[in-house]
Amino acid sequence: MLRVGIVGAGSMGAAHAAGWSQTPAHLVGFLTETFDPNLPLAQRHGATVFRSFDELLDAVDVVDICTPTHLHASMIVRAAEKRKHVVCEKPLALSTQEALRAVRACREAGVHLLVAHVVRYFPEYALAKSLVDEGAIGRVATLRLLRGSYRPRKPVGNWFLDESKSGGILMDLMIHDMDYARWIAGEVATVFARKITSVRPDSALDYGLVVLQHRSGAITHLAGAWAYPPPTFRTQFEISGDCGVIIHDSQATAPIESLILRPAGNAVPEVGLPSSPLAEDPYTTEIKAFYHTLVEGAPSRVTPEDGLAAVQIAEAAVRSAAEGKAIHLEPISV
Amino acid sequence: MKVKIGILSFAHLHAEAYVTALRAIPEVDLIGFADDDAQRGERFASQFELRRFPSYEALLEQKPHGVIVCSENSRHAPLVNMAAQAGVHVLCEKPLATTVRDAEAMVAQCRKAGVHLMTAFPMRFSTPLEVVKARLDSGELGDVHCFNASNQGELPKKHREWFVDKTLAGGGAIMDHTVHLVDVMRWYLGCEAAEVYAVANRIFHADEVEVETGGIVWVTFENGVFATIDCSWSRPPYWPSWGGLSFEMVTSRGAVLVDAFKQNLTVFSHTLQRPQWAFWGSDPNQAMLSDFVRAIAEDRPPRVSGEDGLRAVEVVEAAYRALELGQPVRLR
Repeated sequence: MLRVGIVGAGSMGAAHAAGWSQTPAHLVGFLTETFDPNLPLAQRHGATVFRSFDELLDAVDVVDICTPTHLHASMIVRAAEKRKHVVCEKPLALSTQEALRAVRACREAGVHLLVAHVVRYFPEYALAKSLVDEGAIGRVATLRLLRGSYRPRKPVGNWFLDESKSGGILMDLMIHDMDYARWIAGEVATVFARKITSVRPDSALDYGLVVLQHRSGAITHLAGAWAYPPPTFRTQFEISGDCGVIIHDSQATAPIESLILRPAGNAVPEVGLPSSPLAEDPYTTEIKAFYHTLVEGAPSRVTPEDGLAAVQIAEAAVRSAAEGKAIHLEPISV
Repeated sequence: MKVKIGILSFAHLHAEAYVTALRAIPEVDLIGFADDDAQRGERFASQFELRRFPSYEALLEQKPHGVIVCSENSRHAPLVNMAAQAGVHVLCEKPLATTVRDAEAMVAQCRKAGVHLMTAFPMRFSTPLEVVKARLDSGELGDVHCFNASNQGELPKKHREWFVDKTLAGGGAIMDHTVHLVDVMRWYLGCEAAEVYAVANRIFHADEVEVETGGIVWVTFENGVFATIDCSWSRPPYWPSWGGLSFEMVTSRGAVLVDAFKQNLTVFSHTLQRPQWAFWGSDPNQAMLSDFVRAIAEDRPPRVSGEDGLRAVEVVEAAYRALELGQPVRLR
C-alpha cells in the first residue's frame, strides 16, 4: 500500500489530505512547523504527527509538500535523495534555478515529481482545454484569464504577504493561470507585468496584470486580484480563436444564489478558494490522478517540466514588474 | 437660433447614426452632406433624403455653424483644416488622426481659426461612465491604482473596407480600439500617459486582412496608475452585438466593474437564429452631438477637445513604436 506523508497543515495540506482519503493510499502522517501531537487534521485522518522531515520521509513512499513556497525546493531535493516520490503544491519553487534543481534531483533519483497545478483538474478549465484541442474554436489568438479574491489573512505566519517566501501575487496566485495559458497556447516567449505593490509598496490590497506572448503568436492577458471583499473568489476566462470563442465566468455560472438574510456561521476562510458545487472536489480529482500515476505509472497531466516552465514565467513576471521591462524567455533544457 | 450642421463624408459608419441623432435635436438644421465617393454619396442621399453637396467646398460655402467629419481616419486632417479655414466648428470622428503630427496640426489650425475642435469620444457621455466619474470625484471609490480594460469588437470590415486598410485607417485593431479607453482613463485620472507598451498579432481573420487584429496596449500614467487595454477584433460575426467597452477599475478600496453596454435585452428570434443584445441604455452618441450643438449655440467649448483627441493619438503612435522595439516607450 502506498504510504503518504503530508508536510504542512494549512488549507492546502487539508485539501490534499481530503483527496488522499479518497484513494487506497495510506495517509501515514503530517509534519508541521511547530510540533503539535494533537494536530486536529491528523486526528481527523487517524494519522500520526512527525517530529522531523527525515522521520516522515523514512515512514512513507510519497511526500506531499504543502509548505510555504520558499521551502519547496530543498525539501524536494531531500526527498529525492531518499528515493521518495514527491507531490508538491504550486509554485514548484520561487526561482527557475531552484525549480530546475528540484526537477533534476527527482529525475536523477528516478522518482515522480507531481506539481499540484490544480486548475488543470477543475472541470471548467479541463473542458475548455479539450474543446480547444478538438478544434472547436480554431487557432487560439487571445486568452484572457482572471483570478480574483481577497488578500490571504492567516492570523499567524502570513507568509503569503512576504514576497521572499511566496513571491507575491504574481508568483503565488497568478502562476495558476500562467500554467493554464501555457497548457492552452504553448511555450511563452515574452512576459510583461505590473502590480500595484510594485508602484505602491504600502497598499493594503494588490492586483497584478501580466501579458504573455506565446511562441505560437497567441497573446495571453492575465489579471490577478487580492483586492476584493471577503469571501469573494471569482474566476473568468475567455479563449478566442480564429473560429470561435469559449467563455467562463464563475459568478455567472454559480448554480446557487443565496439571498438568505444574515447567513449564520459565515466564517471567512484564510485563503479564498473556488467553490462551485461538484460531486468531487477538484483537489480530490487531482490527488486521485496523482495516485494513478504513482501506482500505475499513468502519464500525469502536469509534468515536472510544466511546473518548471510555470515558475520561469512567474519569475519573469516578478522581474518585469520590478524593472518595468519586457522579459524574453529562453527555452530551458532540463 | 437654429444651428446649421453639415456632415463631411459618410466613409465612417457612425455618420448614419449621427444623421438620426442630429434630426432628433430640435435646434439643429441639418443642411446636408458631401462625400468624395459619388456612389456612396448617392446611396446615403436617397437613404436619408438628405441634400448632397457636390463638394466639401460647396457645403462649407453654405456657412454651416458646424460640421462633423466622418471620413477615413487618414483623411480627417485635410477636412478638419478645410473647415477651420472656413471658420466652421468641427466634431471629428475618432481617432482624431493617424499620426501625432497630423493631430497637432489640426489642433493648431482650429485654435488659430478660433473654432471648436471636438473629438468624437462618446464614452464621456455614457451615463454609467459618468456615474462612476462622479463617484470617483466624490472620493467614495478611493484612489485609482489600475485598470483592466477591454474594447473588443468584431472585424469592422463588414461595414467598410477601409477600416482594415493600413493607409486609410492608419493601422488595425490598435488604431481602432485604443483611443476610447485612453480617453476615459485620462478623464477619470486628470493626468497624462507617461509610458506605453504593446503586443499584437494577426490570427483573427489572418486570411482577410494585413493589419493587426489582436492586441493589448499597456499605458502607465504620470501618477503611477497602470492599465491594459484589449483592443482586439476578437468578437466573431455571430456575437450578440458589435462588441463592447468595459473595464475593471482597481482602487485603494477594492474594485469597480464597469460595462458601458450592459443595458441590453437578450433577444432570441427565428429570424436571426442566434441571441442578440438589444441596447436600451441612454444613447451616448445623442448626448455627444447635443453637447457639440449646445457648445456652438452657447459659445462655450465642448466637453471634449481636440487636445483630448491628440493625447489619445500619442498613445496609439507610441504603441506602434513599442511593437517595433519590443519594449515600453516613454512619452513624458
